[in-house]
Amino acid sequence: MRFVYVVLRQTCRNMLHSWKSQCMTLLTVSLSVLIFSFFFLIYSNALHIGEKLGDDLRLIVYLDEEAAPPLQEEYRHKILKFDQVDRIEFVSSQQAYKRFEHMLGDNTDVLTGVPTDFLPPSIEVYPVRTLDSLSRITRFSDYLQTLPGVLKVQYGKEWIDRFYAFIQLMRVIIILSGALLIMTTTFMVAHTIRLSLVSRQQELELLRLVGATNNYIRTPFLFEGALQGCIGASCGIGALLALFNWITLRFAGPETISQLPFIFFNWPIVCAIIGISTLLCTFGSLSAIRRFLHL
Amino acid sequence: MHQTPPTPSTIVDLVKVSKTYHPDTQALVDISLNVCQGEILFLTGVSGAGKTTLLRLISHIERPTKGMIEVAGIDLGKLPRNKIHLLRRKVGTAYQDFKLLSDRTVADNIAIAMEVIYRPSSHIEQRTRTLLDQLDLATKYNTRAGDLSRGEQQRVAIARAVANNPEIVLADEPTGNLDAETTARVMELFYQLNRQGTTLLIATHDRSLFADTGHRVIELRSGKIKSTVNRSLKNISEPTEEVHTVQESEQ
Repeated sequence: MRFVYVVLRQTCRNMLHSWKSQCMTLLTVSLSVLIFSFFFLIYSNALHIGEKLGDDLRLIVYLDEEAAPPLQEEYRHKILKFDQVDRIEFVSSQQAYKRFEHMLGDNTDVLTGVPTDFLPPSIEVYPVRTLDSLSRITRFSDYLQTLPGVLKVQYGKEWIDRFYAFIQLMRVIIILSGALLIMTTTFMVAHTIRLSLVSRQQELELLRLVGATNNYIRTPFLFEGALQGCIGASCGIGALLALFNWITLRFAGPETISQLPFIFFNWPIVCAIIGISTLLCTFGSLSAIRRFLHL
Repeated sequence: MHQTPPTPSTIVDLVKVSKTYHPDTQALVDISLNVCQGEILFLTGVSGAGKTTLLRLISHIERPTKGMIEVAGIDLGKLPRNKIHLLRRKVGTAYQDFKLLSDRTVADNIAIAMEVIYRPSSHIEQRTRTLLDQLDLATKYNTRAGDLSRGEQQRVAIARAVANNPEIVLADEPTGNLDAETTARVMELFYQLNRQGTTLLIATHDRSLFADTGHRVIELRSGKIKSTVNRSLKNISEPTEEVHTVQESEQ
């Protein structure tokens, strides 16, 4: 307990001693976390929206003739052999006609004289709504096209391709901003700790001479790095929350954004971002200690 | 040369210790010496004789080129770097260059020695005030160490060295910048510690410190023990290599 108290006091003393560089480091860490979490928030919301919009996502496999139950089972088996799917529905010509009739509503008279089996039977395949599944949908479509008795396969190719490209772009941005986060946090913190070590060289030497343990000397610097990470990440997330609220209040018109389910990070993700930043900064601090503190 | 095994009460034991600085400056040559628990030992000699080097070896700031050093039961040759604090907590050192933090207060400079062994704040404050009072620095509690005179800084360094009541106190020229009255105060503090069982090794030029004290005095010259003033015999024994015999004669 006494050790913790002493470490905390030493850490506060260190941070006050070099408050200017501490502020710069906090600002850098905050900005890095803000940039990273901003893109990550867009990405996670895009995935969320993709899931919602994906309710209508399906591959329609038109067949040349009605599939009897054994054939349906065979189709089901072959489809599942390629990939996991959410569900498979067989639509007969009659069912397709009824749907079409229902869609026409008051205009059903246009169907007068049209045979009820003029629409081809089909299989509606609902893929699992994951990015991996989306990325494989073209190949899935090509595969379905090769099944016996298949006339044509239809799906929202354009929408899926655009959505997938957007998600891929976001992934790249997140990786880049993540790398920025890692570099800034570790390098900036390491640099600050190095400055702190250099400026307190005389005191550290004295601590050794009066019988301080290595942990007594090291721990305040490690704690300093961890605090920088924790406070910086919290500020970054706080700034993002403020930005998020501002955007949703100012730009969420009833027709556009409010229709989409934009949500902020849940607590586990917030804690994970802060925790990872804290760890990264502690690592930065540790690397500086290893390089510049010769105990 | 034969070596007597350290007696049970031996707290500092040096066996044929030499120290050579790069490239070939011999600071100490084959020094053999043992100091008993509770003893006051004065090291004297001209500048460059090796007094400071000897103290630095005992406090393990430097390592000997050859020879064996044992302090408070710790073989310094086998002491790993991460265990040096065990030795330093038993040995309080008042350095010749004081090693004070000039931007910190006098109280902070003394407290640092007690903080590293996790003494409670109340104890630290009380002990600091007591020491400053004893060394006539009571009014300097919150003064920056950098604003003190040399003599005051020296006393702060001494206060820090003795703050934890260490088993051994090494004092390098502890009265070099002090007037007679302050010197007497410092020596009284040392004697008070000694009465409590602390072993003192004092390196000094000032012969008045050990004149007529009856304590052992070792004179170094060119890194060798030139002479030893024996407590019981009160004479100068030469040659000096038989230092260990002093202990025997005392017994």
